[in-house]
Amino acid sequence: MVRVYQYQPFDRTFVNERVAEFRDQTRRFLAGELSEDDFRPLRLRNGLYIQTHAPMLRVAIPYGMLSTPQLRMLAHIARHYDRDYGHFSTRQNIQFNWPKLEQVPDILAELATVEMHAIQTSGNCIRNVTTDHFAGVAADEIEDPRPWCELIRQWSTQHPEFNYLPRKFKIAVTGAAADRAVSAVHDIGVHLVRAADGAIGFEILCGGGLGRMPIIGKRIREWLPQGELLAYLEAILRVYNRHGRRDNIHRARIKVLVKSLGVAEFARQVEREYAANRSFAPRVSAAQIAHLRTSFTPPAYLQLRDTDPTAGAPAAFVAWYRHNTRAHKVSGYRAVFVSLKKHGEAPGDMTSSQMLGLADLADRHSFGEVRVTHDQNLVLADVPQHSLAALHHALAELGLATPNIGTLTDMIACPGLDFCSLANAGTIGVAKQIHAQFDDFDYLYDLGEIQVKMSGCMNACGHHHVGHIGILGVDKHGEEWYQITLGGSSSGEVSLGEVIGPSVPKAQVAATLALIVEVYLERRQDADESFLQTVRRLGLAPFKERIYAEDAVAA
Amino acid sequence: MRKTLWRRELRADGWRYPGESGDGQPVLTLPELLQAAAEGRVGPAGVGVSLGPTDDVELLAPLIGRLALIVVQFEKSGDGRGFSQAQLLRQRLGYGAELRAGGAVKRDHLFLLARCGFDAFDLEPGEDLHAALTQLERYSVAYQGAADTLVQPRRREGFAA
Repeated sequence: MVRVYQYQPFDRTFVNERVAEFRDQTRRFLAGELSEDDFRPLRLRNGLYIQTHAPMLRVAIPYGMLSTPQLRMLAHIARHYDRDYGHFSTRQNIQFNWPKLEQVPDILAELATVEMHAIQTSGNCIRNVTTDHFAGVAADEIEDPRPWCELIRQWSTQHPEFNYLPRKFKIAVTGAAADRAVSAVHDIGVHLVRAADGAIGFEILCGGGLGRMPIIGKRIREWLPQGELLAYLEAILRVYNRHGRRDNIHRARIKVLVKSLGVAEFARQVEREYAANRSFAPRVSAAQIAHLRTSFTPPAYLQLRDTDPTAGAPAAFVAWYRHNTRAHKVSGYRAVFVSLKKHGEAPGDMTSSQMLGLADLADRHSFGEVRVTHDQNLVLADVPQHSLAALHHALAELGLATPNIGTLTDMIACPGLDFCSLANAGTIGVAKQIHAQFDDFDYLYDLGEIQVKMSGCMNACGHHHVGHIGILGVDKHGEEWYQITLGGSSSGEVSLGEVIGPSVPKAQVAATLALIVEVYLERRQDADESFLQTVRRLGLAPFKERIYAEDAVAA
Repeated sequence: MRKTLWRRELRADGWRYPGESGDGQPVLTLPELLQAAAEGRVGPAGVGVSLGPTDDVELLAPLIGRLALIVVQFEKSGDGRGFSQAQLLRQRLGYGAELRAGGAVKRDHLFLLARCGFDAFDLEPGEDLHAALTQLERYSVAYQGAADTLVQPRRREGFAA
């Protein structure tokens, strides 16, 4: 059984009609019947950018869920239409960097055969909804968020009123106590919460975002009954669509509207619209959501007991088990990270052979399902503990078992200057420099959890503001420099990093990180105090002092 | 003469937009209409009004039954505000007469405009009837309910239309 949402004939008809429309639009553009200015918003809404070298096609992976036939199709596309690899993004999507424009309609038609598309992966519209990569398997979950994600996917797909917003619009949904979807820096964060009487509803955050004006979302609704979700989202979108700024692209996100009106006034306008639209807004019935839940029923777990797979196991397996696997709510199972952060490789990249190999492993060990994380790794969510040794061996052969999840080298990096026309900086080169500097795994493990997040420009695709260590590429007179922030965090107590001082030249980024973690090791209270805790306790001063000392690298 | 697509046909327009000269029944701007209404100069029927992207459509509520034409002017193609204005006019204000998209209206926007309740379109020079009709019939399904009757929105199995 395929464990992602399965298309009804309705969905299939819609996606096929969309492919036919884009095929016609592409033909008109290539024939000179449609100008570049008129084609741009159309191609963007079908995932197609024009990049540094070639078009870039971003394919939607709704809330990060992939079936193995879908993963095999991505491998096929990488192999036949691209240069044999794809890049997983922080929106849980995949990007192909080398397709030919005239072949894109064919790619979309092939994707449609496995119930995939590239709709609304760019443009000023509602983008791919994202969620917790441990949805359905996390012990701290209040309710599985995926049926709600699918509901939002359907509602937002070619929404007639909200397809031409002032700016892009991102929604994340979480159903657990821990926020593993960075929801606080989304235009809307939807949290499933349980009331004192046991009822489950939503808390709604609005106005978060990164980019040039990083800001943490504010709660505008403490409690929303489940059936009201779409009605309330429509109210937010309508207020934004009518009143969001359109005169300046840098002031057009909803966060600017929320900030300029003030949260209370913004929330009041949303409530007013929500009340006024009562007779027309969509409502979700219990039967409808029950139907959507049938797409996300738990797989046929075996009755297994928890074991300790590390007992007597080789050191390489033990390290991988400790760092790349996580507890599962069902006894006898683990959730497994597939690391796309092999040292020396671009973070988030995967070759077609790796995709095909992983699809086979997912079929064998994890009910034929793969998930994409917002930090550019993959997850096999339901692996029996007795399969772990075999899985580790096979993943290692594919180069997908680097035991670095949660460590400094498990970093987020956008594609940067090598591919993106917006970037100031070559993030992939810097990532490799950091891999080389921190290639001693015992040292990485001693450092504990450190999230490094790197963006090649202000647009912050690499989420640098919420990295424990954030790295931002800046252009200084045509040279690449890097601004470093400390103390950001995307979960728990969400915070934005503070700039540590003047930016450092490209060649010194890894050496600067080495100085930062050196201060941490010297100054932490004990091995239990994490890097983030130490930064929060000490502030920036001791780090600054070391980095900008006269004989230090950055001086 | 402006060509307007209305009910699957191109027709010569008998209205005169604000700023235009010549014959034809005048279309007022929203401030002009509100001023006329305040002075008791608005007739009981057959009135036309033209809206810009920042005009608040809810101000038309007291006059809605007298209007025979509302033109929503798109200064830039794909300005999303016009889509919300149309939905509000059709749904909240219950406007039933001609609702026209004017200005920078592109063929590729026609389907979504129609879904929001527009039933008339000023086509750009060079656009032909056949192409416009093809675009209006591009989709047979939609996930959402809206102001139109173009397609059957999904109402079964899980989706709230």
